[in-house]
Amino acid sequence: MPEKRCVTINPAKMCQPLGAIYAYIGVHGCIPLVHGSQGCATYPRYNFCRHFREPIEVGTTSLSEDAAVYGGARNLVAAIRNIKARLQPELIGILTTCLSETIGDDVRSIIKEFEQDSDGVALIAASTPSYVGTHLTGYDNAVKALVETLAQQNGQGNGELNIITGLINPGDINEIKHILCLMGVGNIILTDISQTMNTPIKFPKPHFPKGGTTKAEIVDTANSLGSIALTPVTGGAAARLLNRKFSLPAVLGPTPVGVKNTDTLVENIAWLADKKIPAELEHERGLLLDAMVDVHHYLHGKRVAIFGDPDIVTAITRFVAEAGMKPVAVCTATAGPDFAKEIKAVAQEYDCSPEVLEKSDLFALDEALKGTGAELLIGNSKGKDLAEDHHIPLVRVGFPVYDRVGYFRYPIMGYNGSIYLLDMIANAILGHKYDQDKLHQ
Amino acid sequence: MPLVLPKCDAPIPERKAHILVKGSAESIIPACNIQTVPGDMTERGCAFAGCRGVVGGPIKDAIQLVHGPIGCAYYTWGTRRNLSDTALHRKYCFSTDLVENDVVFGGAEKLYSSIIESYKLFPEARAVLVYATCVVGLIGDDLEAVCKKAEKEIGIRVIPFWCEGFRGVSQSLGHHIANKALFDYVVGTKELQDPTPYDMNIIGEFNIDGDAWAIKPLFDELGVRVLSIFTGNASFDDLPPMHAAKLNIVQCQRSSTYIAKMIQDKYGTPFINVSLFGIKQTSKALRDVGKFFNLSDKAEEIIKEETAKIKPKIDYYRRRLEGKRVMVYQGAPRAWHWVRLFEELGMEVVVAATTFGHKDDYEKLVAKVKEGTLIIDNPNAPELVEIIAEYKPDLFVSGLKEKYFSYKQGVPFVNGHSYEEGPYAAFSGFVNFARDIDIAVNHPIWKMIRQKPSLYKEI
Repeated sequence: MPEKRCVTINPAKMCQPLGAIYAYIGVHGCIPLVHGSQGCATYPRYNFCRHFREPIEVGTTSLSEDAAVYGGARNLVAAIRNIKARLQPELIGILTTCLSETIGDDVRSIIKEFEQDSDGVALIAASTPSYVGTHLTGYDNAVKALVETLAQQNGQGNGELNIITGLINPGDINEIKHILCLMGVGNIILTDISQTMNTPIKFPKPHFPKGGTTKAEIVDTANSLGSIALTPVTGGAAARLLNRKFSLPAVLGPTPVGVKNTDTLVENIAWLADKKIPAELEHERGLLLDAMVDVHHYLHGKRVAIFGDPDIVTAITRFVAEAGMKPVAVCTATAGPDFAKEIKAVAQEYDCSPEVLEKSDLFALDEALKGTGAELLIGNSKGKDLAEDHHIPLVRVGFPVYDRVGYFRYPIMGYNGSIYLLDMIANAILGHKYDQDKLHQ
Repeated sequence: MPLVLPKCDAPIPERKAHILVKGSAESIIPACNIQTVPGDMTERGCAFAGCRGVVGGPIKDAIQLVHGPIGCAYYTWGTRRNLSDTALHRKYCFSTDLVENDVVFGGAEKLYSSIIESYKLFPEARAVLVYATCVVGLIGDDLEAVCKKAEKEIGIRVIPFWCEGFRGVSQSLGHHIANKALFDYVVGTKELQDPTPYDMNIIGEFNIDGDAWAIKPLFDELGVRVLSIFTGNASFDDLPPMHAAKLNIVQCQRSSTYIAKMIQDKYGTPFINVSLFGIKQTSKALRDVGKFFNLSDKAEEIIKEETAKIKPKIDYYRRRLEGKRVMVYQGAPRAWHWVRLFEELGMEVVVAATTFGHKDDYEKLVAKVKEGTLIIDNPNAPELVEIIAEYKPDLFVSGLKEKYFSYKQGVPFVNGHSYEEGPYAAFSGFVNFARDIDIAVNHPIWKMIRQKPSLYKEI
């Protein structure tokens, strides 16, 4: 094991503000407002644009030197007024930054002066300095702030399930909705970028994109049957809060990629909503198994490395093991109790011993890959150079994917998403140094 | 009737001073380079972006170390397409990744260790450039002391940049900070071993998508020796002898006139402003430089040859683009550099805007555009959306963040910040520029999206 480095080289994580904005853009009529320097709004916007290829509007309080000295309250108040007056949002999702946190702006008390406003615009405040946690923490905090501020019991159950998504793609959300629809379970998706970050060309351009979680739905999350956090690191806080405050059962993961994890999701939905599992889902599960049988000669024993957000990495690790591949290295930038535990469980079940890199970066993964004989890398676009240097293909998943098109449209979750991911993996292997003469069948 | 205050700006009358229609009184320019109205949905970035992203970032063999929490480093990792013939500056991202504990107890030690470790891992690096982010300015790490100490230890230059994001009103101040630091710490620290009478620097050329590679061969052919390009595809070692040049030419006159002026003031080196885009402007630049070095005949020869090479292609595109109306919104100089290019293609600029232009940028811009052109300083998202809808330009040229506003309103778009498939500079690049505009403007999709198919008419 090499000596622990102090410098981070080629990070596998982003900062809290990006994660918080990711959560807010899934809320209908919500304008994210970054309380900080202008770059803290511009840089995340840039990353969303290149991943989703959609316009995205993010406000900033444009703090400068005087705010650094005297505080940013004046800017924040002016920004909220301006956004309300010009954009008529339903919510403003405020998030803090290194700057506003370090100078000690108390956002919750600053926004109190808007409490008496009769416009009905909800103000949400999430504390998200970049020097704490990662983009995942930012998402977690923002979703928690949404339910903390808005969720209210009305004495009547709504018979629905809260699904807290995390930083996943529109394609994934659509697939989860498809499963819920087949099972006849009403749902509140928290938050739902499936339409806000995948919008049609339509004239005139609507003021706010269709879709997204509505304010009323967030209020109503307190009346649901329970909550499922698809990626616990980025939804656990809200699920736990709803559990603590309103006694809603909270199911944290596992992230539904592959056979077992999707089975678990379906079981959990059935249990929470007291529903039978429909035959259509068994049919789709059968299609996934069929796809796995079809490609098992290509995949069995193939050595694979995976990096990215922890819940996604553990889920993909389990799935590639189910598909007969051999995970040789798994890498995440975070450190949580569940990551290594789940990887170890997969390793024992499928007799493999991947090197586990936690609190790590892609430079460390580069080192770790040497000598593993990895034949495939799974991760986001930042893995491109790594894959090229090791002369192996990269299967793109996660965020951001900017050097290929359309990835946000397709799921890797659920039975259908797993089929898509499996095909991508098999095709990557077949398309890379594979003896074409062996491809006759 | 061209609009002056967009409807969306009714609640923020401060914006009125930033928007004007060019009239007969040419000296009028919009209010600029002042604080953004908070919450106006600005497209501006921060000082760190201007320093790390624009000016320092292209230096290809330096370790670009961002001192701060992880985000600022991540977002500038390989983002701007300042290409080079080696990979260090865009392939690797270095960060001290400050966490809460460092914010409380200071990040100086972590910075020191990070510099030493980075150099040990990348001994081929020719310098370490250390960029301060917001939080570093607030906790007061002594950047200079750490860099000095580290420099002694590793034996290569370690340069501090105080470019915290909250400084100034836009990324523009970051350009100045980078110029000043590179001038103070680097320029003049080494003498040129083999000076010639034909030594010149190209300043403010960042090799976006290979622009510098379209520009430099012209001057090579002219017989001028390009000592340094500040900072496109630049080796750090190119910068110390910059003061030895006989002439500086300045392409990006917003981000880099500072260093040209500093060199002029200290070393007496004159500088010439150039617009190395399009036939007329590139020709003028070659003539100006040719005249300075007494190489006018050669300059004319190159102009003739290069123009002959591309003229038929430009004429072809001109026929396909003539009469189209353009909305151009760039950081600053490319908005006015390109007015003449659009003219050469028979196109007309109807709206021109800049993110962080200063008075001199707007003077140049106003002088170049026709009467009736709408000029906007620091336009924000609702204004852009409204103006695209009102003006319905045939082409919008801007950056990635604005691209999808354009597409969703059915307006063709070319990325003028990092280009579609550049280079766009000089003669050969101009053909790419024209081709990319043609690809955008004359694509069949724009007609299709306007036609409502009969099967949906009743819905």
